[in-house]
Amino acid sequence: MTLDLRGLRLATGLVLTLFVTGHMANLMLGMHSLAAMEHWRPWLMGPWRSAPGQALLVCSALVHIALGLYSITQRRSLTMSKTDVVQLCLGLVTPPLLLNHAIVMHMAGEVTPKFDATYGQMLAVYWSFSPGYALQQLCVVMAVWIHAAVGLYSWLVLKPVWKRIGGGLILPVLFAIPVLALIGFAEAGKEVVDKLASDPAWRGHITDNLRKIVQVTDPLNALQARILLVYGLLVLAAAAVFGWRMLRERTTVQVAYDEGFSARGRRGLSLLEMSLANDIPHAHVCSARGRCGTCRVRVETGAESLSPKKDSEIQTLARVGAPEARLACQARVLGQGVSVTRLLPAYADASAARAPEEWVAP
Amino acid sequence: MNLAEWSVEALAASRARFEMLGRDLVQGPSELANVIGGTHAALMTGMGVRAFTYVVILLLVGIGVEWLFWSYAYASMRAAQAAPIASPREALRPGLRRFFLRLVGLLLFAAAAIGTSAAFSWPRGVQELVIAATLFVVVLRFAWIVIALVLAPGQPRLRLVPLAEGRAGWLAALAMTVVFLFAFGRFAPDLMTRLAGAGHAAGAVRFAAVTLSCLLLAVAAFAFFGRRSRAPRFPRSFVLALLVGAAYLTWLLSPMWGTIAAIGAAVIALQIGLRELVFFFWREQDGEVHDHVLPSIVLSAARFSVVLVGLGIAAIVLEAPLESLAAAESPLVRFSLRLVGVATLWLLTHVIWITIRTAIDQRLARVPAPGKHHGPDPSSRLLTLLPLLRVTSAVLLLVMLVLSSLWALGLEITPVLAGAGVVGLALGFGAQALVRDVIAGIFYLAEDAFRIGEYIESGQNTKGMVERITLRTVALRHHNGPLHFVPYGSLGTVRNTSRDWVVEKFNLPLPVDVDSEKIRKLIKKVGEEMAADPEVGPAMIEPLKGKLYRIDPGVKIFRCKFRTAPGNQFDVRAQAFRRIEAALTAMGVGFADGKQTVLLSAPA
Repeated sequence: MTLDLRGLRLATGLVLTLFVTGHMANLMLGMHSLAAMEHWRPWLMGPWRSAPGQALLVCSALVHIALGLYSITQRRSLTMSKTDVVQLCLGLVTPPLLLNHAIVMHMAGEVTPKFDATYGQMLAVYWSFSPGYALQQLCVVMAVWIHAAVGLYSWLVLKPVWKRIGGGLILPVLFAIPVLALIGFAEAGKEVVDKLASDPAWRGHITDNLRKIVQVTDPLNALQARILLVYGLLVLAAAAVFGWRMLRERTTVQVAYDEGFSARGRRGLSLLEMSLANDIPHAHVCSARGRCGTCRVRVETGAESLSPKKDSEIQTLARVGAPEARLACQARVLGQGVSVTRLLPAYADASAARAPEEWVAP
Repeated sequence: MNLAEWSVEALAASRARFEMLGRDLVQGPSELANVIGGTHAALMTGMGVRAFTYVVILLLVGIGVEWLFWSYAYASMRAAQAAPIASPREALRPGLRRFFLRLVGLLLFAAAAIGTSAAFSWPRGVQELVIAATLFVVVLRFAWIVIALVLAPGQPRLRLVPLAEGRAGWLAALAMTVVFLFAFGRFAPDLMTRLAGAGHAAGAVRFAAVTLSCLLLAVAAFAFFGRRSRAPRFPRSFVLALLVGAAYLTWLLSPMWGTIAAIGAAVIALQIGLRELVFFFWREQDGEVHDHVLPSIVLSAARFSVVLVGLGIAAIVLEAPLESLAAAESPLVRFSLRLVGVATLWLLTHVIWITIRTAIDQRLARVPAPGKHHGPDPSSRLLTLLPLLRVTSAVLLLVMLVLSSLWALGLEITPVLAGAGVVGLALGFGAQALVRDVIAGIFYLAEDAFRIGEYIESGQNTKGMVERITLRTVALRHHNGPLHFVPYGSLGTVRNTSRDWVVEKFNLPLPVDVDSEKIRKLIKKVGEEMAADPEVGPAMIEPLKGKLYRIDPGVKIFRCKFRTAPGNQFDVRAQAFRRIEAALTAMGVGFADGKQTVLLSAPA
């Protein structure tokens, strides 16, 4: 079950990333001209405008958000890696920031039948009529893209395929996409501003179009406010569930480590959370997703006080060739008397997850 | 200018300053609102969108470059974080590694962001704003790197200061807030004045930032240094709060001198806590410092560097032309510069002296006390040489320090040196013999020619056991009792009879009719028995052996020989005689008795 959720979150994330990448690629063409953007729009954005594409996109977005909120409720403590914090925060701020754009693009067409959502139209809105939306969209670009980049990077870096596709090149490519898209956005913006000034006919067309959407601003705003309210309540509920789970458990348990370390923490925390909360060096490349296997430990005593292995843990352990070990990020401490030995040094990196049998501590 | 005039002028200046502050506070808020409104309006145009797009691009490039760096550097960062650390001193090296890795990441971020900003054509004044904002971020991040290195909130293993876990987190948050306020109070008002011409708003923001941070610092002084259980000490919290207050008041009177006062206050505050900070690194498992020597060196060096750094920052703040300072005419400036030079010399000498003394003292502590029953021991020459070395280096360092201090203060030392040379020459001739003795002694001792307890013969026909070694003479106890004091200069060839081994030979006259082979075997057997004897056996290096040496009329002389450790030959010889005699008696052979057989023939 957990494996399915994990895979589903990844799959929906990939769908969304694919859509965003197409959108960015379309924006990049702005470096050439506005016409090029329009010309390529049916190819890059068209598929997502079709009924199945749109359904897939909307479903993916909803499922991804739901799974993100669900992952908050499943948390047991505040210990998480920096990338996790970044991803969580950016993920939380994205829907409210993006909502406006999404509603205009998806709903306006239905509310006002003849609304023409071309790039020229939208860029004119952003660069001339209400620049505030543009600032919001720029923030979204950054939030969405870094969120996606963190996700993609931490997924790919653990795969053996990483070396084959030239791991070092992935980050520059990942960051070139939004940078080029933003440059395209700025260049196209210049063109649009010039065109608005020099081409009154076009300007008239744009303002006409804009008037149509201004008429439906009120219902759209109301809709937006309602969605935001629901979203805010959902986030609060997730946070409340998390807080309740944190506060519910009061008993503390102790875990002994190798090298004389020992950790104390609430019952029910995973071994890795124990280590991190008690300043014990412990490798965790995939930050508790149970994918990398670098946090694996040998249980010396008290194996019965740990939560039982799930399928995903068994698979990961088999992949790294240590079937009798435990993943510290998955094994939760349910009782006293646990003592473990960390099997990898704390500085084990992604290469230890990609090729576990070749990796030796340097 | 006399003091009264100066005071009147200073009072007038401070009154003007207060009036200015008052105007800033009255007009600042409305100006500030204007500035914010103007910025907002400017942002909500095509220009604003373009500028913001570029800012996002800068951020993305900066983040991407830094991420790329971390994708390679993170493993070594983790290694530095996970390094096994048993004492605070061991935390220092991995701490520095973390610091430099983070610093490189930050510099890459800053360089990428600022470098990219050159690629765009910005609306007027915006590039300045963006670079200031980037620098602001860089300052904050740098402060965080330093604070994370020193206070390590959440990671008590890595902490470099003596601080409990709960307090570290709070102190880090407070320090970050203060840095934020200071940085904001530095960057924002500048931009306001230059880009928007809002001088009053700038003054008000500066006032608010400084007041708020000083308040926070004063609160921190009481919160973090208030509870000292050692009763008779003056409360630190009060001193620290006083320093903050003094710096703040000075700032109110004059911003420039306020900055200087803040630097001075920081230097004093550091000096107060420096001893604890430095000694923390030498704490043993029981929380106490046992070895005080090295921490003391580091402490004095740290005290000195803190003052120097404070002076340097003050000079930069005052925008004192450093290169022309050295050539300044003002006698006060020249004298202070020279004092700094003398202080440097003093510190250097102090460090060298403590290093030498510690090394010598530690070596001396490892030398066992000269015992009387352990035979000649090699420690005696160390006991002589090391104190000599200590005194010599002390004198040398002192002379050099005095001379170079005089030179650094600008006094002419050539006559002193020349005079010392002449006096030295005269003394040298007078004390020729003395010097010869001392230097010869150093070489005797360095070459390990004799040790206390050894029996030596000198070239001057004096011999005896070495009883005492001094700087100039060696005292030899003759076996009959007299004590010779031989100066090293006239010691000459030393014949040391107490080294490694001695060979002892003696003759055994037996009647001429004994069987030589039997005697040889008998002596050999005695030798084997002696080698097995628990009393003399261990001292013997080669066993007793004997062979026929000479045949005289009526006498066969056997020459016996053995080798022992020095000093044992007399005991061993006596024992050998006793055993041989007993063995001969058992065999029925007596020593040659010296009786002459005189054959008398009857007179014919």
